[in-house]
Amino acid sequence: MELITHLLEGFGYIAGVAPFLAIVVGVIAGIFVGAMPGLSPSMGVAILLPFTFKMPPLIGLVLLTAVYLASNYGGSITAVTINTPGTPSAVATAFDGYPLTLQGKAGWGLGVSLVASTVGGMVGIIILILFSQPLAAVAVKMHPAEYFSLALFGLSTVASLAGKDWAKAFTAALLGLLINTIGIDPISGVKRYTFGETNLFDGFDFIPALIGLFALSEVFSKIEEGSWKTQLKGEISKKEQWPTLKDYWNLKWATLQASLVGTLIGIFPGAGSAIASFLAYDLGKRTSKHPETFGKGNPEGVAAAEAANSASVGGAMVPLLTLGIPGSASTAVLIGALMIHDLAPGPLLFTERPDLIYGLFASMFVANGVMFLLGYWGSRLWIKVTKVPLNVLIPLIISIASVGSFAVKNSLFDVGACFGFGVVGWLLKRYGYPMAPIVLGMVLGKLMEVNFRRAVIMGGYGVFFHRPASLILLLISVAAFAYPLIQMRKQERVP
Amino acid sequence: MRRTYLNRFLILGLAVLIGCAFGASLFAAGKKESAPAFPTKPIRLIVYTAPGGALDITARKFTEIAGKYTKATFVVENKAGAGGMVGWEYVLSQPADGYTLMAVTKTLIANLVATDSKIDPFSLDWIAFLINDPECIITGKKNKVKTAQDIFADAKARPGQQIWVAPPGVDEVMTYKVWTKAGITGKYVPYDSGAQAMAAVIGGQAEVYVGNPADIQGKPDLMIAALSATKRLPQFPDVPTFKELGLEGLDEESMWRGFAVKKGTPDSIVAWYDDLFAKVNQDPDWRQFFEKNGMELVHYKRDKFNQMIKNELQDFKTYLKK
Repeated sequence: MELITHLLEGFGYIAGVAPFLAIVVGVIAGIFVGAMPGLSPSMGVAILLPFTFKMPPLIGLVLLTAVYLASNYGGSITAVTINTPGTPSAVATAFDGYPLTLQGKAGWGLGVSLVASTVGGMVGIIILILFSQPLAAVAVKMHPAEYFSLALFGLSTVASLAGKDWAKAFTAALLGLLINTIGIDPISGVKRYTFGETNLFDGFDFIPALIGLFALSEVFSKIEEGSWKTQLKGEISKKEQWPTLKDYWNLKWATLQASLVGTLIGIFPGAGSAIASFLAYDLGKRTSKHPETFGKGNPEGVAAAEAANSASVGGAMVPLLTLGIPGSASTAVLIGALMIHDLAPGPLLFTERPDLIYGLFASMFVANGVMFLLGYWGSRLWIKVTKVPLNVLIPLIISIASVGSFAVKNSLFDVGACFGFGVVGWLLKRYGYPMAPIVLGMVLGKLMEVNFRRAVIMGGYGVFFHRPASLILLLISVAAFAYPLIQMRKQERVP
Repeated sequence: MRRTYLNRFLILGLAVLIGCAFGASLFAAGKKESAPAFPTKPIRLIVYTAPGGALDITARKFTEIAGKYTKATFVVENKAGAGGMVGWEYVLSQPADGYTLMAVTKTLIANLVATDSKIDPFSLDWIAFLINDPECIITGKKNKVKTAQDIFADAKARPGQQIWVAPPGVDEVMTYKVWTKAGITGKYVPYDSGAQAMAAVIGGQAEVYVGNPADIQGKPDLMIAALSATKRLPQFPDVPTFKELGLEGLDEESMWRGFAVKKGTPDSIVAWYDDLFAKVNQDPDWRQFFEKNGMELVHYKRDKFNQMIKNELQDFKTYLKK
């Protein structure tokens, strides 16, 4: 009950024009940052960080958190409409969102992603408020062995993403892992495949690669087809363009389940929202009544991915507020926002500055609401992107890709890398290799490698099997890898 | 058919045009001539890390304080990558006219040595050494190994098994130095993120984290077991120095931060900076912001700083190449 009074007080702290304005500005900036390929949530938060230095700490914190929250939704807009995930965590959204657009049902993709993001965001906050203490205590007990096993489990989702072309999907995942080995070895410091090029010391940046593989490869394919007059898809009757309330209600379990997964993964420092959305998508597919339609425009897939990445925001705040340890790249920037005001994030804030904590909690609820309203209104606008003819859209995508990949590190090298990945993606697509496993391999590769080696240094090779949590995750991963193979064998025998 | 080809060329042409315009604008930005009076245009402050970290905060705090003493405008630009080498190379690509200032730390020297970089360490003129952040060893309050005595006893009881975590570079070298001086051995596990390394100590997977006093800010589960200083710091009266624990020669281990410009920058401009840094160093807000976390604020100018860089290079070569 004490919590409720605190929360009500929290709403009191943010009742006013300035906090509300901060939330609205934050949400608008967040949606833009998310939708813009090349600007990830953490970069969006970082870009706005200097503006908060002159603000009162609560307003600054509210603004940045609103950006963080909304950018995880914003990524879905471009993922659905032009198959260019605006953020790494929206990759899984594109799996079903873009096929929906191709079927003329972009409204479904946009509508479901908005509702799922809002619900996921709310679930994340509620869990943050109610259970942050016990969850954080569990999260810090994660040994590198468990991080490795979790990453391997994430990689096992390739098996369910793949469908029939198991071998090609697996090859693509290995390619992603291989790309990840480029750069300075994070453990021993040895330079791998850098050829003395300073720009390769950190390997290929993830975002230009993502833009190249998804957006530019699609552009090159379209140029090859040479069909300019066409729009992205055929027409559909006005009535079916947007989902009805009943349609949303039918997605409730898929959304809720993904929200829980998203929050939990978000809590682990070093896991991240991209992994959360992949795992939730995979779980959504495995528990769906129609797994065969995943990847072909199933709204459940959009709901799963989006609910998970928005829920991870609440999750990432758990270790930040209970231990002072950021749960994600964006929350690491939030620490900077507090430090400049001479405040240290962590549990002491609950007693020293309850106005900040409970004001922040209250503002996250409001930000979710504002995001829903702005998104609802904006979706009517964004859907028009699908009406833009290709001969306008393609140059637009190329320029957005250039600017976006430059923006990551202000580096022209990244622009070149983006185009390189575009060509590679286009070639691979022609031979039927899927893009998603490459991305998955790149997202998980470093997490897997670094934690595998840390675990071995700490406890030898046996550590993965001695620790029960790690062992269980390993066994599930093996089952997940093998299951589609066994299924395929069975199907071959039956007819 | 012809229409489609035409269309195709138009689109490709447009794309190329956009690319060229983009490239040209970047070149234009770099090639402007300097005027005799300094400064007549905004000064770019290059930060070699991503926004939000300790160095970024330091740089932004500096621009805030400097604003009190000069009308010059500072624009912070983050040029992250390759452990600072991307930012360094960028500064070298700019004219030596003082309009490109670089925020530097000891980590930059560590990374230069660790990556066998071809960059000449004295292609930069190291003009101001401002912050001295003492190195310290941090443990978990809820763990069995808490105090410095606990650490040494535990390490001797199970040689080579105690786990120390820290980002590679400066803190890694500090790890080896403490082991050598204390006559113990352990396992060093690198973490690229200090926060995750501290999480490992809180969770009990590791015994010791090597960092700076500011790291434990807001983290009541962590405590400083010992720090590098000639005498106890007033901010941390309960924390022993390494000297008290009988470890000699670890009094001046620190993570320093300062500023550098490209070599060849005119003396008159460096003098302008000397004057500005002297004022900032005396500013009460500047001092309070860093001193509360145990940092020492000083102002060493180019001669002393460049000499220190020579020593640091030697130090890292001995410890990182082992």
